[in-house]
Amino acid sequence: MSPLDLVFQYWPAIGAGILGALVPRGEASTKQRAGLGFIAALTTLFVIWLWPTEGAAQAAQAPNEWPHLLNLLIALPIVGAAAVLFIPRQMLSTLRGFTYVVLGIGFVASLWLLTVPMTAGWHFQYIKDWMPSLGIRYHVAIDGISLWLVLLTTFVTPIAAYASFGSIKTRIKEFCFALLLLQGGMIGAFLALDLFLFYVFWELMLVPMFLMIGIWGGADRVKAAIKFFLYTMAGSVLMLAAIIYLVWTHQKLTGDFSFDYLALSRVVLPKSAQLICFWAFSLAFFIKVPMWPVHTWLPDAHVQAPTGGSVILAAVMLKLGTYAYMRFSMGLFPGPASNLSANLAGVAILGGILYGALVAWKQRDVKRLVAYSSVAHLGFVMLGLFSATPSGMQGAVLQMVNHGVSTGALFLLVGVIYDRRHTREVDEFGGLAKVMPLYAVVFLIVTFASVGVPGTNGFVGEFLVIMGTFLSERLGKFAGIHTVGAAAGVILAAVYMLYVVQKMFFGPLTNPKNKHLSDLTVRESLALAPLVLMIFVIGFFPSIFLDRMKESVLLQHNQFKVVSGQAILFADDRDAKLLPEDTFSPVFLKGMPKKEKTEEPAPGADTQAALGGEGKVAQ
Amino acid sequence: MNAGLFLGLSPLLVVSFGGLLLMVAEAFSKRRVDETSDDRDAGPSSELSLGTAVTLLAGAVFAAAIWFVGPEKLEGASLVAPWVIVDRFTLFFSFLLCLGGALAALLAGGYLPEHRLDRGEFYPLIIFSTVGAMILAAAGDLLSLFLGLETMSLGVYAMVGFRRASLRSTEAAVKYFLLGSFAAALLLYGGALLYGATGHTDLAGIREAIANAQPGKGPNFAIVITAAVLIIVGLAFKVSAVPFHMWTPDAYEGAPTPTTTYMAVAVKCAAFATMLRVLIGAFGEGGLESWAAGWPPVVALLAVLTMTVANLVAGQQESVKRMLAYSSIAHAGYVLVGVVATMRAGGDAQGSVMFYLLTYTVSTVGAFGALILMGSRGAEAVSYEDLAGVGKRHPAAGFAFSLFLLSLAGVPPTAGFFGKLYIVKASIGAGLYPLAVILLLNSVISAYYYLRVMVYMYMREPAPGAPIAKPMRSGYVATALVVAGVLVLVLGLWPTTSLQIAVEAALATR
Repeated sequence: MSPLDLVFQYWPAIGAGILGALVPRGEASTKQRAGLGFIAALTTLFVIWLWPTEGAAQAAQAPNEWPHLLNLLIALPIVGAAAVLFIPRQMLSTLRGFTYVVLGIGFVASLWLLTVPMTAGWHFQYIKDWMPSLGIRYHVAIDGISLWLVLLTTFVTPIAAYASFGSIKTRIKEFCFALLLLQGGMIGAFLALDLFLFYVFWELMLVPMFLMIGIWGGADRVKAAIKFFLYTMAGSVLMLAAIIYLVWTHQKLTGDFSFDYLALSRVVLPKSAQLICFWAFSLAFFIKVPMWPVHTWLPDAHVQAPTGGSVILAAVMLKLGTYAYMRFSMGLFPGPASNLSANLAGVAILGGILYGALVAWKQRDVKRLVAYSSVAHLGFVMLGLFSATPSGMQGAVLQMVNHGVSTGALFLLVGVIYDRRHTREVDEFGGLAKVMPLYAVVFLIVTFASVGVPGTNGFVGEFLVIMGTFLSERLGKFAGIHTVGAAAGVILAAVYMLYVVQKMFFGPLTNPKNKHLSDLTVRESLALAPLVLMIFVIGFFPSIFLDRMKESVLLQHNQFKVVSGQAILFADDRDAKLLPEDTFSPVFLKGMPKKEKTEEPAPGADTQAALGGEGKVAQ
Repeated sequence: MNAGLFLGLSPLLVVSFGGLLLMVAEAFSKRRVDETSDDRDAGPSSELSLGTAVTLLAGAVFAAAIWFVGPEKLEGASLVAPWVIVDRFTLFFSFLLCLGGALAALLAGGYLPEHRLDRGEFYPLIIFSTVGAMILAAAGDLLSLFLGLETMSLGVYAMVGFRRASLRSTEAAVKYFLLGSFAAALLLYGGALLYGATGHTDLAGIREAIANAQPGKGPNFAIVITAAVLIIVGLAFKVSAVPFHMWTPDAYEGAPTPTTTYMAVAVKCAAFATMLRVLIGAFGEGGLESWAAGWPPVVALLAVLTMTVANLVAGQQESVKRMLAYSSIAHAGYVLVGVVATMRAGGDAQGSVMFYLLTYTVSTVGAFGALILMGSRGAEAVSYEDLAGVGKRHPAAGFAFSLFLLSLAGVPPTAGFFGKLYIVKASIGAGLYPLAVILLLNSVISAYYYLRVMVYMYMREPAPGAPIAKPMRSGYVATALVVAGVLVLVLGLWPTTSLQIAVEAALATR
């Protein structure tokens, strides 16, 4: 066992020791600190030793896959957030430095994920029992889909932090705390494969975001913060009910409680229950995306949030909705997801892409405009998912990353001008290119990315999605119309974005207040540079990204296709059933909770057990 | 004399004996000489508060000890059955009630001297009320049940009116006293009817008579059902279920805050213990437990009304204390959902109710305790405005309050979340899908008013010129908050063991 592993086995004890040493305020002697730290560490060690070890951690033993990497990614920010509470609030530079260090280590550690070839199935899997009597496990794993979203998170959050520390001057300590906790929650939600764990992380994100909007936001921040919280929570409690229903059904069928995504994806609910549960899950995700007509929290939240909050909200949190729809709604309820896809695609196009674009066009507040453009862009992502073709889904995942990069950059840019003029009204500006040339150039580049000009990232994603839509069987005879609608959306995007660019940067410099604006500062340029670079990297070399996600997306797609083709999904039956294990690929089921009992309701249990066993040996 | 009997009753005996000792101690303790003196340690409160907490915790420790020994091994303990039943259910509630009482006593140790209510009789009252509550939870007979109820209530009436100089406090006490007596009378009347119909006052006997009913010979079902309704109404008053909740906001608001805390946790938990005992113990058979012809739809209606009305009204309040009063009504509604689920999901559902009461106790004590902590001499923090900016000026107090509010709202990973989760799980397991969904939607409404407190603490600044609430400095309150806070987190992160204990306790009554 390497020293690193030892550190990871006993990290709670080490952490408790450090925290204990930090607890005494003011002038405590070294002896006192050491003593307290020692006592805290010993107590925690005691708990670790007493921890039930039955069915203990199963970690992937594949080469190069260090089993604790994902734990590090999740725990580091959360532990960091707790540690921030112990740093005195006057030590501003320490607070900032500490936040950078934690986020930086997270980013570097997440790059390790790229060293492993992302073959289909789960990687860096780590499983540990949490509440065995309820079948709740700490089960995290990554695949080619969540890989990019985790990287997006670890990439964007430090940038958002760096940019925020330029403009946020009050209550830095709380800001660091909220930011780190948010980071931990988001990464956890992307990695969790246990529905319970997922729900915990999903809710954990709400509180820091609520504080971020409510404390550092604009004039009407409190209302926006509460609206954000209640909207999201209303969706997620219904999801909780559906999760519990699913778990009960699974328990009735197999006799075991399990919240595991892999185990639950075998459950086939009665037809009407399938539909209700699908909506309960999807509503939670659609609110987060947000899809029309549950998008109304988004403009308020974005406009009121501070720049850093907007960047994180747009770049990462919205992706949780699309990611979770792809993973959980499509994975657990393929029947309704497949049946309803044509209708939902219609909603995505009309309500998302077209309506979002038209409303964005009408906005006079640049930030609000960008917020509505998010509605339109995420319409594309959802369209790619509804089309359920390999290229559509790949495009959707890529477009999630693209939107994170380009909209993140747009919010930063809006923040730049707001810091200078304290207004975001388009009419206030004009001819800015003369006084802020660099700013204008960057804005134009990001606009191109957002519009989807070839050579930028937006083009690749939108192209894949539109192609996938056209080829989709699931959209049936509407595929053509859907494609036309989506293409029209691209044109509208160009209309409203270029309109803003033209109004703000060109024409005469009439407003005297704009005559002496300074160009981008060093801090602002440094924050924007990585995002602008990524725009071109994805635009010119999309295969770097597509190759790594391909196998996972294909697996997801094939599984969706196979499972949604099962006749028992649509049988008008009042009993829940269990799909045989061989419906699924063994790499998908790797890490499924082991059966305590040997009963297998489906015939041919032996071969399946052998198959399942093989998967487990392969770990 | 029987050692098993003594051991079995030891939690009760320890607490009662401790209460008697404290009464004597109080009589001999030194009085505050000068009412206007600023010396907080001059009064008798500090030592008495600690003594009360220690006494009640000793009761809890004894209950836990008997749990580990196994109450079924104490042979003599069955001598007092069915008047006082010593089983795991009783022990669980004894522990819970003692814990709630001890924490409330610690809060009183900070609150009473701070607000010049420093009179020692508060502590014997809290102890003897807890004795009543423990008897109530242990009662297997309608007579001892009534005895426990009255012992508990009389103490609480006096504690509500403890601020003698205040009109509101007196009004609250009178209101609570009148309605409480009315409820007790209804309960007693129901018991009398049951005795008339079945010839039994013990719950097991009543159950047997109902189960073995024969046409023409057995108990008259019209009378039994009337009695059941009367008893349910009487208990609904005590747990403050809508529409029998009218006294609650006034009494909770008018009472000194430690009393409010005590009422919200101990009194409510004891009433729910009785409700479980009576509904399952006496009306658990003979069709009365079925959805078609029994109490479940009635209780379900109460639950829906309680949750919805309380949450909607709580959002309108301008006083945090009153808001917490309504929130405690809403929580009673959630628990009632679990009570309904016991009809089908059995021990699991009852265990989830009991676990919920545990999580509710620690979160509520914490929330009221944090509110107490926010105020100091002469200026109690009551309204939202009083809390403006507290999160910035006093981060630790603000953080603690936020933690308890999030737990009450049911945000993971706090105790309150698991409490709700298990109730929802039980009700879905019992097939009560609409109830589960209504509960969850209600928890969203409740998030609004809990968040509002956080909004004021972190996102508002006090209006210029407004009096700024200064948090008090009290080791007792801080201790209570730390204990409650640790429990909120521990129950949130590792709920399994305590849930298993609750389920085991629940199975004892079946």
